Amino acid sequence: MVRVEGLHKRFGKLEVLRGIDLDVRKGEVVCVIGPSGSGKSTLLRCVNLLEPPEEGRILLEGEEITGAGKGKSDHVRRRIGMVFQQFNLFAHKNAIENVSLAQVRVLGRSADEADAKSRALLERVGLSDKVEEYPERLSGGQQQRVAIARALAMDPHVMLFDEVTSALDPELVKEVLDVMRELADEGMTMIVVTHEMGFAREVADRVVFMDEGVVVEQGPPSDVLSNPREERTSRFLGLVLER
Amino acid sequence: MDVFFQQYFDLDVISDNFEFVLKGFAETLQLAILAGILSLVWGLILALLRAAPGRAFAPVRFLSISYIDAMRGIPLLLVILLISGSLPFLPLPESLRIPQWLGKPDPFWYGVMALTLTYGAYMAEVYRAGLDAVPFGQVEAARSLGMNHSQAMRHVIVPQAVRKVIPPLLNDFIALMKDTSLVGVIALIEVVEAGRTVQAETFNSSALTLGAILFIVVTIPLARIVDRQISRQQVRFQRG
Ligand SMILES: Nc1ncnc2c1ncn2[C@@H]1O[C@H](COP(=O)(O)OP(=O)(O)O)[C@@H](O)[C@H]1O
Ligand SMILES: [Mg+2]
Repeated sequence: MVRVEGLHKRFGKLEVLRGIDLDVRKGEVVCVIGPSGSGKSTLLRCVNLLEPPEEGRILLEGEEITGAGKGKSDHVRRRIGMVFQQFNLFAHKNAIENVSLAQVRVLGRSADEADAKSRALLERVGLSDKVEEYPERLSGGQQQRVAIARALAMDPHVMLFDEVTSALDPELVKEVLDVMRELADEGMTMIVVTHEMGFAREVADRVVFMDEGVVVEQGPPSDVLSNPREERTSRFLGLVLER
Repeated sequence: MDVFFQQYFDLDVISDNFEFVLKGFAETLQLAILAGILSLVWGLILALLRAAPGRAFAPVRFLSISYIDAMRGIPLLLVILLISGSLPFLPLPESLRIPQWLGKPDPFWYGVMALTLTYGAYMAEVYRAGLDAVPFGQVEAARSLGMNHSQAMRHVIVPQAVRKVIPPLLNDFIALMKDTSLVGVIALIEVVEAGRTVQAETFNSSALTLGAILFIVVTIPLARIVDRQISRQQVRFQRG
């Protein structure tokens, strides 16, 4: 489904990704964990073509998407949904307009069709009573669920989540994770950068531990989270689980 | 003291010339509104050209920045004189050289051009600040949904940017309105030139006072609107 081969990414002199290989099968849920600054966000942003890598390639459904021309990148992004740590809802649009905008402008759906789809999605994430609310009047958890609905509205083939609960108050984390868990149960292909070890343990088919721009180890959660092979992994887990 | 009041507040002079000065003020308002609308549009175009992405648009960015810098650096009076002094002699169709569209005389149109060229540059700077103030996450969210640069600009960035800069744009409009008086130098009888005409005939400045009052009647409410907008935005900002 998504295949990353020998990915290198530099910001000036700083080499943030130093040869990443990753293979995500259809319907698989891969959780990416690792210390802050290890390049997790950059990896997701490369997959979504928000950052051009210097080296290596990325394939989506068997087709290389790196180095695609501009118009083609926009096309590729429709098949990839992305949810951000800071929600990034369109501040001047209410919930349903947020979910509908790209359906109409990018996919060319009719206003009615988009509206119906948006309502169904907002209901699915438990927000049928907040359809007309503006982001500034929604809690972080609600905003994040709108953002997930907005990404799903494009019927993506794969979803990328970048620490989507890190900016939330603790009591709001569960409502977002529940939506993601449901999505995983329905068979969505997902790459989830997260510090929620409970979620990773329960939902992930595979856990990938990244540090300093490389994949240090990966495997089923029971291996990586409970019996890590690498010293660096256990040190990281020790720090995270202490909290 | 009597002399003072006579010079500036002679009610006879004011009432005798009221209609003439008011007609001048109507000209001022038309000039301001038309040039104001055109500057708003031209300024936005300049700001968007300046924000055009990628290497391919580098020359466009360079040209728009150069234009903006140049127009901000040249006195409006000079722009008015340059346009009215050369446009009539350029190898152009007569309707462009000496425009008399909509029944307005050519100085009116030279004024519209000069004001738009100059204030478009000022407003481009205001728009730029607004575009910069939209968080980058908004662009990324738009792009991640498959929007291209112009879709993201049109549906996500520009609407938010414009909302943020309504107060400074209104301030520029007030300044533009006052600067219409400079078009009087090329014999457009706008309100100041009308007042000066009366002054020359009567050796009395009261018609100019009337002009000042007319300006104030329009600009003070505008200034209040600006203030209200700003405080509304601050409340929003404080709420987060
Ligand atoms: N646009 C950028 N320009 C320069 N440096 C960046 C940029 N984005 C990320 N970095 C740097 O790349 C490194 C990895 O960042 P990131 O991928 O966000 O890590 P993580 O998500 O794992 O915390 C950090 O050192 C960060 O400062
Ligand atoms: Mg990150």
